[in-house]
Amino acid sequence: MKHNFENLHTIFDNHPKSQESLIAILQDIQKEYQYLPCEALEETSKFLDVPLSTVFSVSTFYNSFSLTAKGEKIIKVCTGTACHIRGAKLLQEQLENHLHIKAGETTEDMKFTLEVVACVGACAMAPVVVVDDKYHGSVKVSKVKKLLKAK
Amino acid sequence: MIHITINGKVVQAQEGEMLLTVIRREQIDIPTLCHHEAVEPSGACRLCMVEITKPEWDGWCDYVTSCLYPAADGLIVNTHAPKVNELRSSILDLYLARHPKSPEIRQLAAEYGVLKTQFEEIVDGNNCILCGICTRICDTMGFHAISMVGRGHGKEVAPPLNMAPEACVGCLSCAKNCPTNYIEYNMSNGRLTIWEKDFEMIACKECGKTTVTKEFAEYLSKNRDIPYDYFEKCDECHRKELATTMGRISNWDREARS
Amino acid sequence: MQISNVKELNKIKKECLATQKEHPKKVLVCCGTGCIANGALKIVDSVRDGLAKRKLKDVSVEILKETGCHGFCELGPLVIIEPQETFYTKVKPKHVDDILDKSFLKNEVIEPLLFTNPIDGSKITKYNDISFFKHQQRIALRNLGKIAPHEIREYIGVDGYQALAKVLFKMSPDEIVDEISNSGLRGRGGGGFSTGRKWKICKNIKADKHYVICNGDEGDPGAFMDRSIMEGDPHGVLEGMMIAAYAIGAKEGYIYVREEYPLAVRHLEKAILDCERSGLLGENILGSDFSFTIKIARGAGAFVCGESSALMKSVAGEVGEPRAKYIRSVVKGLYDQPTVLNNVETLVNVPTIIRNGADWYKSIGTPKSTGTKVFSLVGKVRNTGLIEVPMGITLREIIYDIGGGILDDRPFKAVQTGGPSGGCIPEAMLDLPVDFDSLTEVGSMMGSGGLIVMDDKTCMVDVAKYFLAFLVEESCGKCTPCREGLYQLHKLLEKICAGKGEMSDIEKMERLSENVIIGSLCGLGKSGPNPLMSTLKYFKDEYIAHIKDKKCPAGVCPELITYKILDNCTGCMACIPACGYDAITGKKKEIHVIAQDKCTKCGACYAVCNFEAILVS
Repeated sequence: MKHNFENLHTIFDNHPKSQESLIAILQDIQKEYQYLPCEALEETSKFLDVPLSTVFSVSTFYNSFSLTAKGEKIIKVCTGTACHIRGAKLLQEQLENHLHIKAGETTEDMKFTLEVVACVGACAMAPVVVVDDKYHGSVKVSKVKKLLKAK
Repeated sequence: MIHITINGKVVQAQEGEMLLTVIRREQIDIPTLCHHEAVEPSGACRLCMVEITKPEWDGWCDYVTSCLYPAADGLIVNTHAPKVNELRSSILDLYLARHPKSPEIRQLAAEYGVLKTQFEEIVDGNNCILCGICTRICDTMGFHAISMVGRGHGKEVAPPLNMAPEACVGCLSCAKNCPTNYIEYNMSNGRLTIWEKDFEMIACKECGKTTVTKEFAEYLSKNRDIPYDYFEKCDECHRKELATTMGRISNWDREARS
Repeated sequence: MQISNVKELNKIKKECLATQKEHPKKVLVCCGTGCIANGALKIVDSVRDGLAKRKLKDVSVEILKETGCHGFCELGPLVIIEPQETFYTKVKPKHVDDILDKSFLKNEVIEPLLFTNPIDGSKITKYNDISFFKHQQRIALRNLGKIAPHEIREYIGVDGYQALAKVLFKMSPDEIVDEISNSGLRGRGGGGFSTGRKWKICKNIKADKHYVICNGDEGDPGAFMDRSIMEGDPHGVLEGMMIAAYAIGAKEGYIYVREEYPLAVRHLEKAILDCERSGLLGENILGSDFSFTIKIARGAGAFVCGESSALMKSVAGEVGEPRAKYIRSVVKGLYDQPTVLNNVETLVNVPTIIRNGADWYKSIGTPKSTGTKVFSLVGKVRNTGLIEVPMGITLREIIYDIGGGILDDRPFKAVQTGGPSGGCIPEAMLDLPVDFDSLTEVGSMMGSGGLIVMDDKTCMVDVAKYFLAFLVEESCGKCTPCREGLYQLHKLLEKICAGKGEMSDIEKMERLSENVIIGSLCGLGKSGPNPLMSTLKYFKDEYIAHIKDKKCPAGVCPELITYKILDNCTGCMACIPACGYDAITGKKKEIHVIAQDKCTKCGACYAVCNFEAILVS
């Protein structure tokens, strides 16, 4: 995938040049490109003067970073305890069936990415599915199809 | 100087010195898989755990990794308490599941009575025991070519972006210090391949045998003041040369005396 | 707005009180994450438009308040009309005109939007008459749902920053530490360590720098109290941090907050900015010689970063691997300097303790666990949400009086506390007082405060498997007992749930658990086997049913159950498309049939059937 990496310097300008900024910079890159492109990791390593191996360790240790490109729409099934006992697994299976992918994967047409997340902290409305940062609470099996169309 | 008791024997130790150092100085055998003198202890393998107590603890004991626990005056250490032995055998059982084929692990496990793991073995997969000696050595040497990637059970040692690491000079310190010889490399036809990076080795000017990679020689001559041409001769030829030199010197001496 | 001394602070407070007197009538719209998910922002827009239409545009700022979370998220969006305290649930934009005309302007009540008592079906008008709120005592949550969290003036109007003024000019750092120690406040993040003692140790260490870190990395699945506090009362957290910093002599502070909580990050950023602009953060705060700055560090999704040494590594931009701690982080923490790490809920309690005194705080709760605790009461309970109760209250009171009992009147089975480090408590222990020590005694722990209620349809082996799976995923992978041990425990549980377990597996799990507890490097591994150990202790018969009878009594584990359609099937065809495996056939108005060879036992048919015509056995 081709990217315009000029924005990277705008991101770098917002952070002090020290390893303390590493995670924040990676978060900003992830927000900009929806994932961490290799070139961006290399640039970050150069900008912060932190070894590339350290940047790679950090970007693979934390869950919110992805090294592969994601789909246009990101669907996250919350699998926190409250959601688990109110049927999150079933929702996950239903979404996997509808999209023909497993959790963690992206559809071939790059339209959808399906993820499971540990807990989004909206436990009182369990089970919760987050579609592009919008929370959907008390999701029923019958509503799963609608979620895919939701904006 | 302080005094601590190890397995009933009172021994001297330096304040702040790690217990493992004292235990090994006393020639007591306790296993470790992540310890290496060249690097900071990490406390990852947990095999060096010992039971500690103090008279004023009223019989209460604690279990600590001796590689990271500083000696303190009056400490009573038991390196082979029943609970400690039980813990070691349990950990070695887990290691055996992780790397069932490793002779090093099998021998260590057998010493603690584990001949076969009772857990699910990893047959074709990542058998690295993740002790982190290789990555810590690479960092200490200043290369930072490889690191721990990912987390949890799926963690692995890998070069950045899983590509041939730019920073690697092919020094082989990682592979040669791996406790289970898990790091693969290939040395043939005057070339070295490790972490999928290909290196040209320097050939000995005398006999043609390979010495070190060009990159490593360059690094050492630039940063450690070892002349580059030192590596253009292999260890054996260096020794041969040494004999010739020594012979010449004694001849000069003899000539000078006569 | 400049607040460079106490006089200016008090002037603003007076102005706020005057405005409140002038405009006692208010429309409060809850804008916590839950209510926003249910459409609260549309309600805010409608109310604003509605006020403009009614020529109240000029005063709409005083009338309309976007507040933090009330904790009753399931019924959102929530709207409250003050001063009557009329409580409306599930409000839609189409209801707004009615609310403004009748309830706001004429003090009438709109019945259909009121809360329905789930027990007798009666309608309840007032906020504080609802049993969910009636039994609560709100100290940490004092401002949630009452003020607009993104407005610093609102916080100042409710005595905000008065405690800071008090400590800066009327108390010495030692007196502050003593006051907090005397209050008996213990860490709300789970450990339960005395906050005052922690401050004292840190304060007494000579070092170049001291740090204060607020731990907002609420990672326990099923818990969301810290999120709600950071969203709904960010200034309360900041004030707590400032007092801690002044007491221990820190000049720099960090808030470590999960990235998954975007609204909390936004509100904290705004709060910090407002404080910096007005002079409440920076040099010579309120004209004193105290200087302090706060930075936000966003967590990037690693549960282990709730552990203090891992968190500090993460703040420094490193991989969040814990280090072996024979030197505690309060002595040698962030950048090897003495560091106080307190949880969000702990810190938000601090300003009220300073204002009202240690004796007042001590009078609440039990002698050893003083004050209140916030819980997220979730799972199979009627009223789910965020609650704050005095320590010592029983689990029964929480679940039945506040929670309204079990959903669909099913039998209670267990309540899980303490997140992945905690355990499951059975019915026989429902009268257990909730405090730090009692919960630990029965093999669970307080943790950060998740209370997950489970009914007879919850399989306890599956619950243990769920937590182990979570921990395997979240283990940093550094030390062997945690990385390999939890992995193997999870494998054994998978085996049991698949009907392939043997009785010897129980013993194997018990032995391994003990060694993981002793051998692991940090708290994650040391407490990781707790959910397994506690379910084994209290629900062993369920394990035996899985192993010996190859049955899952709760009807959860797919390999051990079958789905069958009963004769009362109406032939509505709802289940046919729901089944993703084409296992159900049947015509309209005829009884459907499940082809057992195709059925994966996912439970989709059961979930969509409106006639209870599907039997799980």
